[in-house]
Amino acid sequence: MPNSSRFAKWRRSEAFRGLALASPPFLYALTMLAAPLAAVVLFSFWTQDYLTLDRTPTWNNYKTAWTEAIYQALMLRSLKVSALVTAATVILSFPIAYYVSFRVSPRRKTLWIFLITIPFWTSYLMRIFLWKVILGYNGVVNGSLMGLGLIEEPLTFILYNQNAVILTLSHAWAPFAILPIFVALERIDRSLLEASEDLGDGPVRRFFRVTLPLAMPGVLAAAVIVFIPTIGDYVTPRLVGGPNGLLIANMIELQFKKANNAPLGAALAISAMLIVTIISIIFLWLNRRYIRSRA
Amino acid sequence: MNSGIRNVAAGAAILAASSAWAADEGLVVLDWPSYDDEFLFPGYIEKHGDMPSFSMFGEEEEAFQKLRAGFKADLAHPCSQSVSKWREAGVIEPFDPSRIERWDDVNAAVKEAFNFDDGYYLVPADWGTTSLTYRADLVDESEVQSLQVFLDPEYAGRVSIGDNVDDAYALAYLAVGQTDWTKATEEDFQKASDWLRQAHQNVRAYWVDGAELAQLMGSGEVLISWAWNETAVTMSADGHNVVSNRETIEGSSDWFCGYANVSNQANDEAKAYDFINAWMEPRVADYLVNVWGYGHGNATAMADLGDDAINVGLGEVSVPVLSQVPMDHNLRERMIAEFEVIKAGF
Repeated sequence: MPNSSRFAKWRRSEAFRGLALASPPFLYALTMLAAPLAAVVLFSFWTQDYLTLDRTPTWNNYKTAWTEAIYQALMLRSLKVSALVTAATVILSFPIAYYVSFRVSPRRKTLWIFLITIPFWTSYLMRIFLWKVILGYNGVVNGSLMGLGLIEEPLTFILYNQNAVILTLSHAWAPFAILPIFVALERIDRSLLEASEDLGDGPVRRFFRVTLPLAMPGVLAAAVIVFIPTIGDYVTPRLVGGPNGLLIANMIELQFKKANNAPLGAALAISAMLIVTIISIIFLWLNRRYIRSRA
Repeated sequence: MNSGIRNVAAGAAILAASSAWAADEGLVVLDWPSYDDEFLFPGYIEKHGDMPSFSMFGEEEEAFQKLRAGFKADLAHPCSQSVSKWREAGVIEPFDPSRIERWDDVNAAVKEAFNFDDGYYLVPADWGTTSLTYRADLVDESEVQSLQVFLDPEYAGRVSIGDNVDDAYALAYLAVGQTDWTKATEEDFQKASDWLRQAHQNVRAYWVDGAELAQLMGSGEVLISWAWNETAVTMSADGHNVVSNRETIEGSSDWFCGYANVSNQANDEAKAYDFINAWMEPRVADYLVNVWGYGHGNATAMADLGDDAINVGLGEVSVPVLSQVPMDHNLRERMIAEFEVIKAGF
């Protein structure tokens, strides 16, 4: 019985144990992630005809998605908004992460990180509505400015436009940027900072020559973590975006629901994913090149 | 789209959707959030001692896709525009009018609008009107006698239109002089779209639900809106000087929704008819008009309510009324696509 003994031997091998261990999560990922994704890809080549789906493969949805002015404009707008959100989030998060890493005593760091997450225990919808209260026509910002006599009429450029989307998203994603930057800062060997001071660097030069370069992997990771999900967000633009603040994700949602054109929605979704993938790869490549050039 | 979602914020809708399952599995109703209100079908509870099970949807297309995917329910609550599509897809089937006790009282115009070749597909339950609504303390009455005020540069950034293709196009068709959209020509459609495109320049925000519009108008940010009758009713009750003018020279619009009989039934039909019969009782009409500010599908009961209905903006008017009745599905799909293009600023 050479076969069964070989099988029995294989069952005792490390390869088998590895496979047995990895299979359940692999199958899970396959059914929950790969299969739905494959369905979306498949849909994007079909055509919706009122109530029926025409299953003849066609590139028409992609043609529409890439050539019609409205989809191009929405895609560019989404990329612009996501890029600005990423920039704002990372720039605003860095000082917080820096403070916690360098100024807070080690015993209290965990407490600080914990405190930073507290506002995010509230539902995201609730926070969007709070921003509407803050930025609204007779909201906190306008009320204060008018009370101080700085403005006569309420400011209207702060809500129901792209600025509001950028502000709300930056606030929402701040902890996801603070944490990777904090981790990167924590890993910096403090003796390097002393060394640079010994060699005559002032605080500003020290920051730009030592701290920031060493924190760069964290900054890039934060940028990727913020950029990827924000491009797919459709709740925020829907609630604070107003007439000109709608993004590509709103259009995708619309195609799947009201417009009754799932294939076009699928093509738009795949196109957006492709663009995000390309941008993320550029980010990762930059990061690797950066690390290598330092090594 | 034209329905009770109108008085619920999006967040509340999500909460309701997850918590609205009641005990009795003998009747499953696919409904808009907040329609799981015991005062809307007291007769059913008296007879069966329990609420039916509700499954909530936030948008008709969502409900449609759920039914097409095989969800078993007994009744669903679509609005006028969806019924033909649902019927063509085979997810709903006709009612047997002989099992509906107050069938003769049911609004004749509406029930006949859904009398297709093989029977009656909709029992009209709730309806309302859409009209020009304004802040009477900030806008002079003389300014809001025509729908063209939506294009007035003086109100740039101070007007709001619903994020709802039927209401938006009802407004646009009225504004360009077409009061019956079943007769709309290609030229009318182009004119209406151009009109909406111009109005878009003035729009501050497309309101999604009544609560959002109430905030916009309450703060004085939006002075003029194209709104449901409940907005003026509820906002006046809250002390705001908000008035609706259903008699602008071009006219105003009305919409209705109702119960449809789902083909892929979860249960025996008897309880479904009990539910419909409970809904059609006059006491429900009283409750719906006076508490919700909506019209009721029982026309006799509505007539008996008299001034109550007029006070909430559901009385007769002397100007044209664009009724949001079913239209050609090709034109409607184009309206949906075009509205999104306009909203995106093109």
